Amino acid sequence: MSLRTAVAHRNLLYLLSMKELRTRYRKSILGWGWSLLNPISQTLIYSFVFLIVFDAPTPVGDPSGLETFPLYFLSGLLPFQFFSMSVTTSIGVVEGNSSLIKKVAFPHEHLVFSVIVAQVITLLIELGVLVVALIIFGQMAIPWFFASLPLVGLLMVFTTGIAFALSAANVFFRDINYLWGIVAQILFYSSPILYTPDLIANDTLRALTNWGPLGSFVRAFHEMYYDGRMPGLGRWAHLTVIAFGTFAVGAWIFNRLSPRFAEEM
Amino acid sequence: MAAMTNSGGAALTVDGVSKTFRVHHERSNSLKQFIAARGRNRFDEFYALRDVSFEIPEGQAFGVIGHNGSGKSTLLKCMAGILRPNTGRIDVHKRMSALLELGAGFHPDLTGRDNVFLNAAILGMSRPEIAKRFDEIVAFSGLEQFIDTPVKAYSSGMYVRLAFAVAINVDPEMLLIDEILAVGDVTFQQKCMEKFVDFREEGRTLVLVTHDLASVRNFCDRAVWLEHGRLVDAGPPADLVDRYTESMLADPDAAKAVEGARRGSGEIRVDRVEMLVDGQRVFRIRTGDRVTFRLHYSARERVRNPVFAVKIGALGGALVTQPCTRDTQQVPAWIEGSGVVDVEMDAIPLLKGPHVVHTEITGFGRQHVFDHIQNAVRFDVVTGTPDESAGMVTFHPRWMIDGDGVAPHSEMFD
Repeated sequence: MSLRTAVAHRNLLYLLSMKELRTRYRKSILGWGWSLLNPISQTLIYSFVFLIVFDAPTPVGDPSGLETFPLYFLSGLLPFQFFSMSVTTSIGVVEGNSSLIKKVAFPHEHLVFSVIVAQVITLLIELGVLVVALIIFGQMAIPWFFASLPLVGLLMVFTTGIAFALSAANVFFRDINYLWGIVAQILFYSSPILYTPDLIANDTLRALTNWGPLGSFVRAFHEMYYDGRMPGLGRWAHLTVIAFGTFAVGAWIFNRLSPRFAEEM
Repeated sequence: MAAMTNSGGAALTVDGVSKTFRVHHERSNSLKQFIAARGRNRFDEFYALRDVSFEIPEGQAFGVIGHNGSGKSTLLKCMAGILRPNTGRIDVHKRMSALLELGAGFHPDLTGRDNVFLNAAILGMSRPEIAKRFDEIVAFSGLEQFIDTPVKAYSSGMYVRLAFAVAINVDPEMLLIDEILAVGDVTFQQKCMEKFVDFREEGRTLVLVTHDLASVRNFCDRAVWLEHGRLVDAGPPADLVDRYTESMLADPDAAKAVEGARRGSGEIRVDRVEMLVDGQRVFRIRTGDRVTFRLHYSARERVRNPVFAVKIGALGGALVTQPCTRDTQQVPAWIEGSGVVDVEMDAIPLLKGPHVVHTEITGFGRQHVFDHIQNAVRFDVVTGTPDESAGMVTFHPRWMIDGDGVAPHSEMFD
């Protein structure tokens, strides 16, 4: 597997991604509406919990001056959802295409790539909606949308690495699928999505939340969309190392295991 | 034509290939079991292929024959690149397409059109190539009207037709085919066969993995024979199929004695039935063999005027013949004790397929049944002489065609 095969089979990648997109909301009345309704409903629920049940102070955007919890929440939730949905779907797609893997020789990694491509298209649409919401609340976020594209790219690389590792391992141990459901929950609550890191008193815990792989991505999205400032060089360097490191490990695992998919499924 | 375009190069080389599978005693499909076993699964290595080597010459039709479980399909999957051999190597020198399962990549919710594009891409075609061949593919499938319907609404026949149309139009230089000649209706099968003939004439390479000895004999230039994962023999298909058939005839595992249903009053019974060719007990016969059916009987008491009969027919089909000893006026006055009754038949005209023998002993009036065994013996008829591709029996046809150039043994593909 390499970028070269990905380019050589770009047609397959394109068609698999289209299939992924077209068949996602089949037989549902709202169809693509669900991809927006889902984050909106989550925002409402968590805003209620955060603002009313816990009566926590709304984070203030610096320098944007925003003081709207739902927007803070959404700018962290969207990248997280991209990540968790991509990994969940990748695990399912590799498992679900066993008949194809057993009968046809084709680059298996395209199953994972196609999921990532389909999910990133969803993410970009959702970020577009977030930008509209931010503008309504007085924050001119259109430049930040474009500035965040390299960040989206790094998130894709990172997510692909995890998706590779877990979707390949799941062929051998179906527990991965269930285990991932739990891990995704832990990652959600340990990332500063429905709280701000400075609400954490413990120094070590705060640092972990701020600089844990996923927390770091979430913080970078906060900084761009909610705060309206460029993340520091340290953040960028950190994310780049995490993204490519994870990708290298994930791709290595996938490459090692994928020749045995056909006989293990 | 095929022979002439053969440039002598190899389209595919199989060199010392072995493939093992792990047969797990306790499969640890969960992490818990895996950790409990400390990362070691208990398993046996099972050799599906053992040190197989051969070469498929360019531009030939190549057959792979063998029983179920002989490693045919594993070999095909290794050649197709789906499985990776443990040792040895397979070099593919031509653009290859493998037809292992038709429509494996079809998505039921996508339309026929989308599935054509997706399936062709999975088989390795680029977008412009597919676009160029799209009309041809649809025309071949005969599904112009339904091409924008989701394939979940297709009948299984339509599904297979579309899938085959895609696979065959991928334009490979070499095509691997696994038992798929048996799809679709007769007309479509005919169309597929014609396409394969075209392929050969265009000097492309075909690899056929099949049980169907007749198609290997008629269609292939060369064949190999696999048994328990090893290459037993290789050579021109006619000889190879003969040797393979010989070995099958001697194979007692082939005896598929169906538990017969017995009725009758039981004073005299058939204990067992044997099939003999040249005095040897056999379990499979060839069209044209001289066959003796031997009925071992035993009588509890003296039975007057017993009439012996056998009924032979296709399994689950019509009876082809039912000779009895009364027809030939060979009814003994009485029988007691035990003994054998033989019925010998010259040049059995049955064509290949599963067959069955029922036996019957009745009184002279044929009304009283002493013993009747439904499905006393099940046997297979395999390709012999003459061979006909369809039908139930042969009448030993001789064709005479006016004009020159048609010798009785003209081989149409050469």
